[in-house]
Amino acid sequence: MTTPGISVLEGKYMVTMDLFPQQSKEFNQVFTFYENLKQGRFTTTKCADCGAESFPPRVMCPECFSTNMQWIDWPNEGTVIEFTEEVVGVPLGFGKAPLVHALVDLQGKKTMFVRVINCVEGQLKVGDKVRVAVFDVDPVPQEVKGGIQEIPRVFYAFEPVT
Amino acid sequence: MDRNVCIIAGGMSKWGVRSGSQRDFFQEAAKACYEDNPQVNPKEIDGLLVASAYTERTSYQTHLAPLVAEHIGVKPRSICARVELLCASGSSAIILAFGLIKAGQADMVMVMGGEKLYTPQKWEVFYSELASVDHDWDGPQGLGLPPPVFAMVAKQHMKQYGTKKEQLGAISVKNRRNAALNPKAQFQQGITHEEYMNARPIVQPLSLFDCCPITDGAAGVILCTEEKAKQLTDKPLVYLRGTGQASVNNMSANMPSWTTWEALKIASQEAYRKAKVEPKDVKVAMTHDCFTISEIIEMEDLGFCKKGEGGPFVGEGQNDIGGKVPTNTDGGLLGCGHPFGGTGIRQAIEVMRQLRGEAKQQVKGADIGLTHNLSGFIAAHTVLVYGREPV
Repeated sequence: MTTPGISVLEGKYMVTMDLFPQQSKEFNQVFTFYENLKQGRFTTTKCADCGAESFPPRVMCPECFSTNMQWIDWPNEGTVIEFTEEVVGVPLGFGKAPLVHALVDLQGKKTMFVRVINCVEGQLKVGDKVRVAVFDVDPVPQEVKGGIQEIPRVFYAFEPVT
Repeated sequence: MDRNVCIIAGGMSKWGVRSGSQRDFFQEAAKACYEDNPQVNPKEIDGLLVASAYTERTSYQTHLAPLVAEHIGVKPRSICARVELLCASGSSAIILAFGLIKAGQADMVMVMGGEKLYTPQKWEVFYSELASVDHDWDGPQGLGLPPPVFAMVAKQHMKQYGTKKEQLGAISVKNRRNAALNPKAQFQQGITHEEYMNARPIVQPLSLFDCCPITDGAAGVILCTEEKAKQLTDKPLVYLRGTGQASVNNMSANMPSWTTWEALKIASQEAYRKAKVEPKDVKVAMTHDCFTISEIIEMEDLGFCKKGEGGPFVGEGQNDIGGKVPTNTDGGLLGCGHPFGGTGIRQAIEVMRQLRGEAKQQVKGADIGLTHNLSGFIAAHTVLVYGREPV
């Protein structure tokens, strides 16, 4: 990999240019979310003291300030409340236009503003069921003692339930 | 005892797709600000706040305030720092300067804001927008650039309240017309309603003229105690009367409502309470028209019209010159452009001119003016109220 104009960066990883979050335990205390996601589970943290379920997952409960968090499964299927198709300005890394965005009611837990993939232009309708779709993203070449370790990563979008 | 605070000078660089660097624009803006009030000796300015959101990303520069101070010939001794709240960075810095002067921690503070957003390859600024939302959770959904968010807001507002595309167009035509009268604005030509309606789609229902552009440029204002202001200007004094800034969520999943902006209601009520005014007292407003739909919802949640009636309100010209609350008389974000940190400062300059009675499109009897910014994923709102009299 070369970086035009900045020859010293040849072959270097730049966290400041990474679309996706760090998912290793060294760089993210909620790495469990991604470990669960790899197994198709959509999870978050629940406060073991007050019962509040937060998203995104937390280290501390924003309601009662307890740090006694437990991981729980959330629904991985929801209903489209509204959607729109982005035809101009699709950001680098998100494929060809249109990029389909939807507001998805996750069975009353939260309304998620998400990307819908595996969906043909003009196909999605309000009221459609969609589910969490997990995909691989570029691994991070992370420095470890004696070298570089590739940290595999995943992320999620939603896809129509067919 | 609290002191009254006045805004006594303001100026901006030319805004647009500019040749030059961030520091060049700060110097141009400072020059314009100094020329606005030659009675101010820049050497006597004791504090400097610099608003810039993308300085690290598009200029690779932190520790910006001392750099700007060095270039504009200011030697701060009470405060010298940068302030960041993305699109509301400039207004946030004005609030902080206000508080410092009010409390006696500073006497005269210059507040600058600006960005160099276009880089030698244009993709980079768009890519960097992934830092503007919750990078780990909203960014990876492709939500860095804002049009999809405001398209979703517009769709829901249309569905819920019957707001029409033609009403969005009224905002665009108005603000572009106003910008054409402002030599510092990015866009120097107005658009017709037909051009608006026939523009290429971006994200349904938003098309090209519903969206503000990306902009290079800077702006600056000077705030000081009422006592100093009386010595330093013969123009009518303009007081900062009250401010509010609120956030109730950051990630999209925690947004209470997409069509009623709770944080805006909280911020504006706080600003009105401190300024001892009501929405009906506001004679001129600069609100955050990053997208046409934003200005419509802002009319509602700032209390200028009833909830859901923003569409007809703007369609009837109630926020145009001659209406109830002339809004974005200098062209707003849609016409002037939007160098994030500069926008709140630009708004303050136009309100200052309106309250002094020297605006290009003067609103008759303007004695109370308001500025508003939203920032991030509609995740914070900032409101400032200015007046011809102190509170």
